[in-house]
Amino acid sequence: MEADPQRDHELMLTRRQLFGRTRLGLGTAALAGLSGSSAFANDGVGLHHRARAKRVIYLFMAGGPSQHDMWDYKPKMADLAGKELPSHIRDGQRVTGMSKGKLMVMPSEYSFSKFENHDRGVWVSELLPHTAKVVKDLCVIHSVHTEAINHDPGITYIQTGSQIPGRPSLGAWLSYGLGSENSDLPGYVVMHSMGSQQGTSLFGRLWGSGFMPSNHQGVVLRGDGDAVLYLKNPKGVLRHHRRAQLDALASINQAHHRAFGDPRVLARLEQHEMAYRMQAAVPELMDLSQESESTWKLYGEKAKVPGSFEACCLNARRLAERGVRNIQVFHRGWDQHSNLRKELPAQCEDIDRGCMALITDLKQRGMLEDTLVVWGGEFGRTAYSQGKFGSENYGRDHHPRCFTMWMAGGGVKRGITYGQTDDVGYNIADEDGNPLLPPQHRRPDKHHLTPGAVHIHDLNATILHLLGIDHTRLTYRYQGRDFRLTDVHGHVVRDLLI
Amino acid sequence: MAARQFSSILLIFSLIASFASGDQPSSGQGPDFAREVLPILSDKCFACHGPDAKEKELKLTSYEEATQLRNGIRAIDPGRPDHSELLFRITDEDDPMPPTKAKPLSPAEADVLKRWIESGATYARHWAFEKPQRHPDMNRIDDFIAAQLDTQNLAFAPEADLRTLARRSALVLTGLPPNPNEVAELVSSEDPRAFEAFVDRLLASERYGEHRARYWLDAVRYGDTAGLARDVRRGLYPYRDWVIQALNNNLPMDQFITWQLAGDLLPNPSLEQTVATGYVRLNPTTNEGGTIPAEFQAKNNFDRVENLGTTFLGLSMLCARCHTHKYDPVTHQEYFELLAFFNNTAEAPKDGYKYDHPPVAKAPRDIADWKRYKQLKAFEIASFNSELACELDEIESRMTVTLVAKEGKPRDTFLLERGDYLSPVGPVLKPGVIAAVGPMPEGAPRNRLGLSQWLTSPEHPLVARVLVNRLWQQVFGVGIVRTPEEFGLQGEHPTHPHLLDFLALEFVASGWDQKAMLKRIVLSRTFRQSSYHRTDFDDPENRLFARGPSFRLDAEVIRDATLQASGLLDPTMGGEGVKPYQPAGLWKSIGHRKSNTRIYVPDKGTKVYRRSVYVYWKRASPHPMMTIFDAPNRESACVGRSRTDTPLQSLALLNETMRVESARKLAESIILEEGIDESRIHRLFELQVSRHASPTELAACLSLLEQMRSEYARDEELATALLETGHAPRNEQLDPGEVAAWTQVVTTVMASDPAILLY
Repeated sequence: MEADPQRDHELMLTRRQLFGRTRLGLGTAALAGLSGSSAFANDGVGLHHRARAKRVIYLFMAGGPSQHDMWDYKPKMADLAGKELPSHIRDGQRVTGMSKGKLMVMPSEYSFSKFENHDRGVWVSELLPHTAKVVKDLCVIHSVHTEAINHDPGITYIQTGSQIPGRPSLGAWLSYGLGSENSDLPGYVVMHSMGSQQGTSLFGRLWGSGFMPSNHQGVVLRGDGDAVLYLKNPKGVLRHHRRAQLDALASINQAHHRAFGDPRVLARLEQHEMAYRMQAAVPELMDLSQESESTWKLYGEKAKVPGSFEACCLNARRLAERGVRNIQVFHRGWDQHSNLRKELPAQCEDIDRGCMALITDLKQRGMLEDTLVVWGGEFGRTAYSQGKFGSENYGRDHHPRCFTMWMAGGGVKRGITYGQTDDVGYNIADEDGNPLLPPQHRRPDKHHLTPGAVHIHDLNATILHLLGIDHTRLTYRYQGRDFRLTDVHGHVVRDLLI
Repeated sequence: MAARQFSSILLIFSLIASFASGDQPSSGQGPDFAREVLPILSDKCFACHGPDAKEKELKLTSYEEATQLRNGIRAIDPGRPDHSELLFRITDEDDPMPPTKAKPLSPAEADVLKRWIESGATYARHWAFEKPQRHPDMNRIDDFIAAQLDTQNLAFAPEADLRTLARRSALVLTGLPPNPNEVAELVSSEDPRAFEAFVDRLLASERYGEHRARYWLDAVRYGDTAGLARDVRRGLYPYRDWVIQALNNNLPMDQFITWQLAGDLLPNPSLEQTVATGYVRLNPTTNEGGTIPAEFQAKNNFDRVENLGTTFLGLSMLCARCHTHKYDPVTHQEYFELLAFFNNTAEAPKDGYKYDHPPVAKAPRDIADWKRYKQLKAFEIASFNSELACELDEIESRMTVTLVAKEGKPRDTFLLERGDYLSPVGPVLKPGVIAAVGPMPEGAPRNRLGLSQWLTSPEHPLVARVLVNRLWQQVFGVGIVRTPEEFGLQGEHPTHPHLLDFLALEFVASGWDQKAMLKRIVLSRTFRQSSYHRTDFDDPENRLFARGPSFRLDAEVIRDATLQASGLLDPTMGGEGVKPYQPAGLWKSIGHRKSNTRIYVPDKGTKVYRRSVYVYWKRASPHPMMTIFDAPNRESACVGRSRTDTPLQSLALLNETMRVESARKLAESIILEEGIDESRIHRLFELQVSRHASPTELAACLSLLEQMRSEYARDEELATALLETGHAPRNEQLDPGEVAAWTQVVTTVMASDPAILLY
C-alpha cells in the first residue's frame, strides 16, 4: 500500500483512541508495535536496549518433566535408595496432598552419560539420545525454582507471572513489546503438539492477553482442520470470489468512513486485507512440500504428521524464517505421578528428536544466533517416589524447589550448565554441592537474586532482556497500577548471557 | 491546628468555585488538589511516600504528615515554596526526587506542585471517596455536557436521523437491531413522543435482560466450568437465568446486589434469593491432585475480595493482599477484614471436580419453568387445585442443581504476611470494611448481609457511581470515568464529575432503577447526537461527548444480529449452556484426559441458534466467536472489554459456518420476499442496518451479485457446495446458483462496518 500522509494521520488518531495515553505505560516504540510494524529495527535496537535475540521459540513442557530422569544426574542417590528422605534435606518443604507416608528416595533408573560441552560437560540420560547431540549449543540450567506446587497455579505462574488467573501471558507481553515483523502472519503463534499423554490441562490464559487488548493473545496454529481458525473460505467460495467480496466490502466501508469519519473503519479495512494475505501465507507456511530431503532426515518421518512435536518444531523454524518473532509450542503429558516407567520414555521420545532437529536446523541456517530457544515446564519432580518405592507403577510428585530447563541461541552462553542441586537433587546447592538452606544460607526466593539459582521471574526477566526489553520498564497500566510480567520481582541472570 | 482549619476553609471555597464553573476545573489561585495535584503525588511519590510508607519515612498522604517538622525541615511549608524541602528535592540534580530509577516528574508537574504549595498546599480527599454532591442548578444530563461544550465554544452535534437512532437504541438496550416494521412505524409517526414509546418497548422486551446480563456476567466472571485444573462442568446456569430475569423485572439494583452477596442471610429467603448467591460461588475452583486445602481457602477468598473490589467498588484490591495499598487508603488489614466476610462460607476449598459441589439448591431448569414456577408459588399461597399442584410437582421434579452460598462452620481469619497463606500473623480479624470509604451502617450485622448493606447504603460514595459509570460506558462505549475498573487515586478523573455525581444520586433516589437510568441516558440529547467525527475540533476519544456513540459491536451482538436477520434465531430463554458449531478439536487439544469438558459435542436442532448469552462458557476455551471479538475468558472480572481489530475477525466474519448458514437463509428469504435485485438489497440493509442501501452500497452489491451470478451459473456444483454450509435445509425450489450468489452478497453486507458497528 502506498504512503498516504492523511491516512497515516488518521491511523495515528485511531491508535490514540485505541490505547488512550493513560492506559499505555510505553512510548512510541510499543505503539509502533501495536500497529503491526516493528519496534525492533533492522539494526538490532530493541525496545530498551540492544536485543540479542530477534525472536523466541519456547518449547513448553506442561506437567513438570522429571529432571531426575532426564538432566540432573545424582549418582550418590543410590546410597539413599529406598531410604527415607532426610528431614534436613526436606527442610520443612511443603509437599502436595499426594505425597503421603514416608518419602522414599528413588534414584533414576536410567543411565546417564557425560557429554562434552564448552564447560565442564553435561550429563544427559539415555532417554534423550538426540538432544544429547546438541548440548554444545545448550545452556542447561539445573536450578530453576518456583513456589507453586500444583499444575494450574504453577503453569499460570510461569506463563503469566501470577498464580491466580487474569494477567497477560509472557507471549502477550512480548507481542505488546515487540509487535510483528510480518504483515501476512500473526506476530504471536502458539502450537499444541499432540503427544502420547494427555494427562495435563492447558488454558487459553497461557497465551491469553489478560487485561491487555485481546489482539495480543496468541494465534493458535492448529494441527487439524484449519491451521488458523476460520482460515479457509467456505466450500463453494473461491479465492477470486473472496477478492470480489472484499472489494465490495471496501466500497461499503469506505462509504461508511465518508459518512462518519471514523478512522477505525480504515484500520479495519487493513485487517480485512491482512486476512486475505494470511489466507495465502498460512497455506504456504504449512506446505512442507518444498522442504529438502535433508530436513526430513533431520526431523524424521513423524514431522510429516500434523500436530506431532516434530511438525511443530519444523513449523516453528518456518515461522521464524518468515519473521514471526514470538512462537510457543505446548507439549503436554509430563505429569508422571505413576507409571513413570511407561510414560516418561514415551514423553521423551515425543520431543527428543524435535528439540535436536530444531537446534540443528536453526544453526545450519545461521538463525540460532538471533533465535532464543527455551525448553522446560512449570516445575520439576521429586527425588522420592510416589506410590510404593520401586513398584512397577511408581512415579514422582511435583517439586518446585529445583528443576531443569535449557535455553539456546539468542545471546545465551553456549554449551554450559548453570546451577547445582544437592546430592539428592532436592535443593539448589552451592558450587560444592551444599544445599542452600538456613541457617547457613538464605534459601533462594523470588525476592533476591541468588547466584546459581534462577527463579521463574528471573527466567522471564532474562528472556525479555535477551529480546531487548527491560522487564522493569515493560509495563501496562490496569486498575491504576503499572503491571509487569515479573510483578515486583525478577532479575536478569547475567551469568547466562554471552 | 489553626493552619488546618484554614486549609479546610480554603477547600470549601475551592469546591464552591468549581461548582460555579460547571464541570470545569476551578481556575482559582492554586491548582485543584483532587484533579491536578493528587494524581501527581499518587503516581510519582506514593510508591515510597504513600499510605504504606515505612514508619520513619515521610508520608505525603495528608496535610498533617506532609507539613510536619522533621529534623528541622518541612517537606511542605504551606505558602512558603522556598522553605519546602519537597520543591528543593524535585529540582535537585545531585539527589533528585523521584530518584533517577523511578518515573521522572515533568516540568509541568513540578510547576503544579510549586503553585499548589504557594497557594497553601490544601489537601482534599480523593473525589471518589467523598459522597456525590448534587449540583445546585443542573438537573439534566445535557446540562452537564453543554456546560463543558460551552467552555470550548462548541454546540451539540445535530441529532442523528430517526432510523439511526432506532437502530442505535435497540442495539444498546436489547443487543439486536430493531424490527424493520417498528422502525417504519416510528419514522412515519407524528407523535412527538414516538421515540420515547419506541424506547419503552425496547426496555419492556425480554431481549433486554438477555443483552444487559452479559455485562454483569463479564464483571462477576460467570462461566459454565470450574476454570482451574480439569476445568470441569459445574452447576451455575440457574444463576445466569436469574440475572436475566432480575434485569428484565428491573429488580432494584440495591436488592440485586444484596441477593447476590447475601440472599441466604435474608429472612426466609426465596428460591430466587438463594440462587442469586451463586455470585459468591463464581470464583474459579480446583480439585487438582495434591492441592492443599488451606492454600485454596485463601486463594478462593482473594479472588472474591478482588472481584468485589472491581465489580462494586471500582477499586483494585490486589495491592492490599500483600501490603497496605500504595496509593489508595486500603490497608493490608482491611483487605483481610473484607475477606473475613467470605471466610465462613460452607463450601470446601476443593471442589471435588463435582458439578454439584455443595452447598447447592435446586432451581427451575430454564426460564419458562422459572416463570411458571413463580406464578404457581404465588397461586399456592392463594388457592391451589390438584392440577396446579401437579404442574408444580412436575417443574420441581425436573429442577437442576445450582451452587449457592451458605454460612458454614466459622473459620478464623488472620492477616497473611505478604499474602502468603502459610504466614498468618496477629489476632483473629473480625469482618470489616474500608474505613476511608465509610463505616458500615448502624446496626448492620458483621456478615455478608451487613456487607451488602454497606455497599447499598446511600452514604456509600462508590457503588452507585461505579454502576452508573458502567451503564454510561455500555451506552457510549466509554465511561465518564474512563477507567471503569479503577476509581482510586490511580484511576482517571471523570471527564464530567458533576454529571457522574448527578447520575449516581438520581440512581439511588429512583430506588436503584436501572431501566429508568438507561431510559434517561438514551433519551438525552447527548445520546441522540450524530456520531459523525466532527472536524470543527479535535477530540478523537470523545471526551466531550460532543458526538453520539460509535463502536464495534460486541461478539454476542454481532452473532445475535446475524441470527435474527436470517430468521434462524431461537428465542427460547435460559437453560443449560448451548453448544453451537465450533471447529473440531479445540477442547481436545487442551483438555485433561479425565476432564468432562474435553470433547465438544455441538448441539443439534435449533439450540445452535440460541442467543449468545446462552452459549456454553468453558473458561479454558470459550467459543472462538466470542474470544476472537474480545470477550474475556471469565476467569477474572472484566468491566470493560477491549475492542480490537484483527485479521482473525475478518476470517471469522466471512467464513464461520453459522454466519454463512445465516447468510444463505437470509438470501432465500429476500429472494422470495422481493422481486427485483434492488429491492432485495434494500431489504437486506433494512434488516441489518435499519435503512435502505445508499447508492454506493447498492452499486457495490449489484456488482458483486453480477460477478457471483456468472461464477455460479458456470459451476452449479460450487453453488450447491456453498449451500450445504450449516444444518438448516436449503429451499430446493430456488435456483442454487441464484441463492449462492445472493449468499455471497449477504455474507459481505453482514461483515461490513455498517452492520457490525454501532453509530
